[in-house]
Amino acid sequence: MAAIETNSLTKRFGESVLAVDDLDLTVEEGEIFGFLGPNGAGKSTTINVLLDFIRPTEGSATVLGHDAQAESETIRRKVGVLPEGAELYDRLTGREHVEWAIQTKGVGDDPDAILEQVGLDPDDADRKAGGYSKGMAQRLSFGMSLVGDPELLILDEPSSGLDPNGIQEMRDLIREEAADGTTVFFSSHILPEVEAACDRVAIMSEGRLATVDTIENLQDDSDAQARIDVELAGVPDRIDVSNVDGVVRADVDDGTVSVVCEDATVKVDVVTALDRQAEVVDVLSEDTSLEELFNTYTGGGTVETESPAEEPKAEVTP
Amino acid sequence: MSVLNVLRKDFKDVRRAKLVWAPALLYTLFMLLFFWGQSQGPEPDFYQVLWGLAGIGGAMLVPLIALVAAYLSIAGERESGSIKFLLGLPNSRTDVVFGKLLSRSAVVAAGLLLSFVVGVGVAAVLVPDMPFEYGDYATFVAVTVLYALAYVAVAVAISASTSSRSRAMGSAIGFFFVFNLVWNFLPVGPAQMLEFLANEFDFDVSQNTINLIYSFSPTGAYMNSMKLVMPDQFMRGVGAMVTDPPFYLEGWFMVVIMAAWVMVPTVLGAWRFRRAELG
Repeated sequence: MAAIETNSLTKRFGESVLAVDDLDLTVEEGEIFGFLGPNGAGKSTTINVLLDFIRPTEGSATVLGHDAQAESETIRRKVGVLPEGAELYDRLTGREHVEWAIQTKGVGDDPDAILEQVGLDPDDADRKAGGYSKGMAQRLSFGMSLVGDPELLILDEPSSGLDPNGIQEMRDLIREEAADGTTVFFSSHILPEVEAACDRVAIMSEGRLATVDTIENLQDDSDAQARIDVELAGVPDRIDVSNVDGVVRADVDDGTVSVVCEDATVKVDVVTALDRQAEVVDVLSEDTSLEELFNTYTGGGTVETESPAEEPKAEVTP
Repeated sequence: MSVLNVLRKDFKDVRRAKLVWAPALLYTLFMLLFFWGQSQGPEPDFYQVLWGLAGIGGAMLVPLIALVAAYLSIAGERESGSIKFLLGLPNSRTDVVFGKLLSRSAVVAAGLLLSFVVGVGVAAVLVPDMPFEYGDYATFVAVTVLYALAYVAVAVAISASTSSRSRAMGSAIGFFFVFNLVWNFLPVGPAQMLEFLANEFDFDVSQNTINLIYSFSPTGAYMNSMKLVMPDQFMRGVGAMVTDPPFYLEGWFMVVIMAAWVMVPTVLGAWRFRRAELG
């Protein structure tokens, strides 16, 4: 049984906005799954359908084998949710929030243990949430999602509002939960946290699924186009690498030549060719960063690629 | 029961909002004023106090108490996004509407009851010689609380059907304007309109029908429910009261109308909220 499965899920808002377009997504049990994409790509809309906050225009979704619409309460009994951009109850204390979640889920968790787990100290827990910083609010929200030891955590932008330290702690907490067998599905538009935490990622772009894979595979794929920076001593009058097989593009900036190659094996030829024309001081060769990868799939960068988002969308006549 | 969890949490939350208690305080102050007014006259009349309270409460303060306490109950959470905590936990949409209705009803009833308890004390101090009719006072308290609950139900229903603070407020004010001021106090209410049309086009409309239409609003029903509390005062205040009126103009039927104003909006509100998209 898949933890989350969507079948041709489509959501329109009004006539003109196609927020999610024919999405087929499967999240397996026990994995940490990163749901990526820029703002407005349809991530929150998808999550909102999973939790029955909104209803699909077409298609369907199941969570832990239950239909997202017909059996929403059953789903929410088994799932922990960290909603995005939701304000806490100003007049309730942190502890009261957690106690309420415990009562509503009908479980016997210890509120203090949960508050400690997410790093909210006891003094803060007894203050009203209206005075919380964004980071404290996010910790409390995460704590509420952990109530009842859910089988699946659905976290919408969990690191928003956290400082780098907090992001690191959040990541550790997510890993801890996953180590117990909890499936974690979280969305993000910030890349490093996904890179470090996920087993698999899906990249959304303009309502469509651009790709699903492990981080390693995605990087291998994009290594097909490798980039190398070569620093030269002095600025030679003329640099030419166009006769090297497999060079896609070359730019010169100050004394550094940046070359995009068809694949990684071309890098050596580039360095050899440049060495003949000038004195090579340094060679920088990096794996494709997730950021570049992300831009590749969402069409946000300079790298040219065939993004599925660019395909003309079939219009459904009513 | 999830309704109880919604209720408990919401009651804890809303009772800490000072604004919710302000209109009830105002109501208490008016009560104080009316008792004081009787203490200044040679012959203090208990029913004069109730009559005054029915007027100012029915026209203004009771709706205000209820609308302020409930118009943001759901729309406010939709605007702030906290509704996603509420519905991220295993609560159904129906649980939310009924839980909110009960919690806000509890706050409003508590405010009014407190105010009426204070009233008893104030009467004992200011007008010790005035006979205090506890039985009629209890009836007055009961219909006033019911009237308030009708407005709470309307406010929760409005709140369940709107997605933002401003729309909820606009709709609440609109309801108050139409079903209170226009319906029962301005000379353009549907009862007067019907009378006017009857004169103009020369057809017969019985006074009973006119009275019934007047009583269809929560405020009309509340005003006419004073027949239950003080029939004599009502006769003098309103003028001729039909002897042996049809059942639908009797006091108990006013209670039925107010109860319907609790139930129908709640059901409609729950129905609308089940279908709402919480983006």
